[in-house]
Amino acid sequence: MKEKNEIQDTIENRDRIHVVMFFVSIVVLVLSALILARIVHIQTSYTVDAKVINLFRPVSQRHTEAPVRGRILSTDGRPFAISAPLYDIYMDCTIRKREFEEKNDADAEMAWREKARQLCVALSNEFHDKSADQYYNTIIQGREKGSKYLSIKKNVDLNTLRRVQTFPLFQEGGYRGGIIVESHEERIYPYDSLARRVIGYVKDTLRKGLEANFDYELHGKAGYEWRRVTDDNSWIRDLDSNVVRAQDGNDIRTTLNVDFQDIADRALRKQINENDGIRAGIVIIMEAQTGAIRAMVNLSRGATPQTTLWERENLCLTEVGEQGSVMKTVTLLSVVEDGHVKSLEQTLPTNNGFVPGGYKQDVHILDYQRETGRRDITVMHGFEISSNYVFTWLAENYYGNRPQELFDHIYSYRLGEAFDFDISGLGTPVVNRPGTAGWSKTTLGTTAYGYGISVTPLHVATFYNGIANKGRMMKPYLVESVEKNGRVIKRYDPSVLNNICSRNTADTVTRALRAVVERGTATRLKQAKLSVAGKTGTAQVVLTPQERAGSTDPYHDPWGRKKNQGTFVGFFPAENPKYTILVTVYSYLSGLSFYGGTLPALAVREIVDKIYALDPEWEQELHRAGSVPVMKKGENEQ
Amino acid sequence: MTAHAVWTAIKNSARALRNGEFLLRVRADKLYMHILYLFLLMWLTIMLSLQVDKTLTRAGANKAAIEELKIHHAEREAALVKLRSASGIEERLEKMGSKVASPQEPATIIKKR
Repeated sequence: MKEKNEIQDTIENRDRIHVVMFFVSIVVLVLSALILARIVHIQTSYTVDAKVINLFRPVSQRHTEAPVRGRILSTDGRPFAISAPLYDIYMDCTIRKREFEEKNDADAEMAWREKARQLCVALSNEFHDKSADQYYNTIIQGREKGSKYLSIKKNVDLNTLRRVQTFPLFQEGGYRGGIIVESHEERIYPYDSLARRVIGYVKDTLRKGLEANFDYELHGKAGYEWRRVTDDNSWIRDLDSNVVRAQDGNDIRTTLNVDFQDIADRALRKQINENDGIRAGIVIIMEAQTGAIRAMVNLSRGATPQTTLWERENLCLTEVGEQGSVMKTVTLLSVVEDGHVKSLEQTLPTNNGFVPGGYKQDVHILDYQRETGRRDITVMHGFEISSNYVFTWLAENYYGNRPQELFDHIYSYRLGEAFDFDISGLGTPVVNRPGTAGWSKTTLGTTAYGYGISVTPLHVATFYNGIANKGRMMKPYLVESVEKNGRVIKRYDPSVLNNICSRNTADTVTRALRAVVERGTATRLKQAKLSVAGKTGTAQVVLTPQERAGSTDPYHDPWGRKKNQGTFVGFFPAENPKYTILVTVYSYLSGLSFYGGTLPALAVREIVDKIYALDPEWEQELHRAGSVPVMKKGENEQ
Repeated sequence: MTAHAVWTAIKNSARALRNGEFLLRVRADKLYMHILYLFLLMWLTIMLSLQVDKTLTRAGANKAAIEELKIHHAEREAALVKLRSASGIEERLEKMGSKVASPQEPATIIKKR
C-alpha cells in the first residue's frame, strides 16, 4: 500500500513538472515570436528617435588632419608660394538676445549694445573699410532680423584675428560674444605678380603653371585620428584607435632667380608702360650651359592700354607665331653647318633685291647698292642689316632642289615639335614643309627669313641657347629638385635635346650675331656692360578673322591696321656665353610698328647691365697692392 | 539548497553585518593582502588614466600652439620676403628721397688667403 502511494506521488509530481515545463515553453515561444516580429519591424518600418541616436553615438569622433601644401622656392630658396590659413570672421548677432528677453532685462540689452558699439569702433579702426556707424547699423539690423551668421571680414591673417579676438564683446568668445571664426588654407605669393604665370595656381578645376604640373608633389596626403572627450570636456586622441598622420606636401625648388626675375620684370614694365601701343611683353633668361630658366616674365594688359599690367597668360609657351628675322639665324646656321657658306665674308649678287620665283623685292638692297655702289653683298652684311633678299637667295640657291634638307635642320633644332617641358601648354609649332597644305613655291624663301614657320618664344630661346652652348642644345627646365624638409628627394639634372651643329659652326654664327650688335640692327646694345651677341626680329602677326573684319590680307584689317611683334634674342657675354636672353613685345591692333632693335633691345640692355652688377660671376677681387710692415714690440716707443 | 537555507544565510549575514562580524565570519583576514592589492591596482588604473588624459590634453594644446607658431612664421616669412625684393627696396629708397640706389658695378671682394 505504502509503495503504491509513493508511485502515485511520483506520477503526480511528474505531471506537475510537465505542466510547468509546458507553460515555460509556451512563454519562450511567445517571447521568441515577439522578438522576431520586433526585428522585422525594426528592419522595415522603425524610425530611430534622435535622442536614442545620441545615446548610442560613439564617444570618439574621427578628426581629419589636412596636410600643408609644399612651397615653391626660387633657386636660392626664397619662397615664391607658401601656404598659410586665412580666417573668415562672422558674428551671431542674436547672441543672448533671447536670454535678455526672457528675463525682460532691458539694462542688459543696453549694456550689450554699448559693447557692440565699442566693438564697431575697434573693427572700423582695424579694417578701415567701413565707419563705426555702418558696422553698428549692420550688427543691430542683424540682431533685429535674427541674423546668426553675419559676415564681418574675410581672409584675415592670424595676427589680425588675434587682435580682433581681444575687441569688446568678441573677447567674451563664441557663446557670449557671438564671434564665429572659420579658417581655410590659402596660397600666399610674397612677390605678388612676379613669375605668377610660371608659378600658376590650383583653384578647383582651374589649374595652371608649376602648381598644376607638380600638384602631385605639392599637395601631400591627409591623415586622420579618432578623438574622444575627457572629463573636463577636452578632446584628446583616442589611444585605442588607429592614427594616420598627415604627410605635408614636398617643396619644389625652381631654377628661377628672384633677382633676375625682378630685374627682367621691371625692365619690361618700364618699356611697356612708356608705350600705350604695347599689348604685352615677355622675357626669358636661360642659363646657356644647363638650359635652366632663370627668369620667365609674361606681362600683358587687358583689352585696352589703361588696364593694369599683370601676368595674365604664359605667352612664352603659348604664343605660337611667325617670329620674323630672328629665324634668319636658323638659315645661317644650316648653310654654314652644311658647308654651303664657308665664310661669312662670302659674297652673293644683289640682283636689285630680286630673287626669281615670285618673291617680293627687298628695298633694303636698293639702299645698300646706292650707298656702296656694289653689286654684291657678303653674307655677314646681309645678316647685319637683316636682309630678306640675302636669306631667300641662300635658301633658294642651296636648298631649292632639296628643300627637305632645310626642314630636316629645322626639325633637328626642335623647332617643329613641342618638346617636353615642366609646365604643360607649350604650343606646337606649325611648319609648312614640302607636301603640306601650306607649302607653296615661295614657302622655302619666306621660311628662310622667318615667315611660314610658327613657333613659340621658348623654342626660339632654346635654339639660340644651343648656339651659345657651342652647338649642344639643352632642354629648358624650370624645376631643379623636389625637397622634403630641406632634404633633396628628387633631382632634375640638365639634359641635352640635341647636338645641333659643330663648335666651329656655332663660333661662326656667334661672330655674325656679335656683328648685329656691333654694326647691325641692335647697336643699342653696343654700350652694354657685357658684350652681347644676338639678333633682332620684327614680325607682323596673323590677325584673327574677327580682327581682320573681312579683309583678305591676313596681316591687315580694312583700315590698314596691323599687329606686330618686336624681338631681340641673343646671349651674353658673347665671348663666353653664360645667359641666353629673349625679349619680345606685342602690339595692339594699330598703325604703329615696334622693332626688335628698339624697345626689346633697350630692355635687354637694362637687364644685362643689372645682371652684370649683381651676378657673383663678375665680382672683382681686390688684390694686395702692398703690405703693412709688421710692428715689433718697442719699435713705436721712439 | 532549499529556500529555507538561503533565507537563513541572509539572516545570519545581516546579523553578522549588524554585529560587525561579517568579514571575520567569511575569514577575510586570510585575503587581507589581496584586497589591499586589488584596491591599489584600481587606484593606479584610475590615476594613470587621468594622468594620460591630462598629458594628452597638454600635448594637444602644445600641438595647437606649434601649429599657430608655424602659421605665424609663414606669415612673417611672406611679409619679410616681400620687403626684401630688390625693386621693393628701390621703390622705398626713392620714396624716402635716399641717394642710395642699386649698384651699377659688380661688387669688389676681398678673398681670405
